[in-house]
Amino acid sequence: MDMSMNFDGELLMDFFVSMLLIGIGVALLATGIFTSYFGAGKSQKIGFALLISGIAILAYFIVLYPLDENTFIEALVSGVSVLSGMIIGMFVILFVLMKVDTVDDLEDLDLEDLEDLDLDEELKKLEEELNQADDNSEDEE
Amino acid sequence: MMDIIFSMGLVGFMLSMLGMGLLIAYYGSSKTRNVGVGFLLLGVVLAYYLVEMPNHLVDTSDVVFWNGMLAFIGGITGGVIGIVIFLIAIIKS
Repeated sequence: MDMSMNFDGELLMDFFVSMLLIGIGVALLATGIFTSYFGAGKSQKIGFALLISGIAILAYFIVLYPLDENTFIEALVSGVSVLSGMIIGMFVILFVLMKVDTVDDLEDLDLEDLEDLDLDEELKKLEEELNQADDNSEDEE
Repeated sequence: MMDIIFSMGLVGFMLSMLGMGLLIAYYGSSKTRNVGVGFLLLGVVLAYYLVEMPNHLVDTSDVVFWNGMLAFIGGITGGVIGIVIFLIAIIKS
């Protein structure tokens, strides 16, 4: 299979198309496994179809070897390396964000005073209600 | 081979820092926003290092580097196409 596009004397399309097909194959394989396992009835059949399609695409690259071995391995290593770098970056960001105290603004609020104020108001209202009730009962007597 | 692994890994790390840094710096508030700006600056420094600094690890003028980038873009595009195929198959059923 010749998917080459000459660019500066090197073959570029080999990398793009091979990884494109590998990406489709992996995505179909993963979604097929999930759908065939968790699906029921028609969904399960679609899952099996996706699974078989994914396996067929990946087997095409593994068994038939349409590309030069070095080109294919280089493309695979490059793609996996970039994805690994991105995942590491995401973990670093999550780690830093979790370690940074992002709720320090709440310390500026004096929550205890607010709670006490609410409780005092509630107590005053209750006392007033009780006093009014006592006055009413005394008047009736 | 190790040069490719390290250089492409560095590219992936840079992309994460730039992308997530932009999002966090835009949507974050107070301290989180400052952290996002820090990530963004780190991404810019890494991009500058990758493009401008002469080093043995990464050579962006090399065809091998752009082959790796094409492989990455192809892999991402393939993954998205695969998920779209899955969604179409499930929705149409």
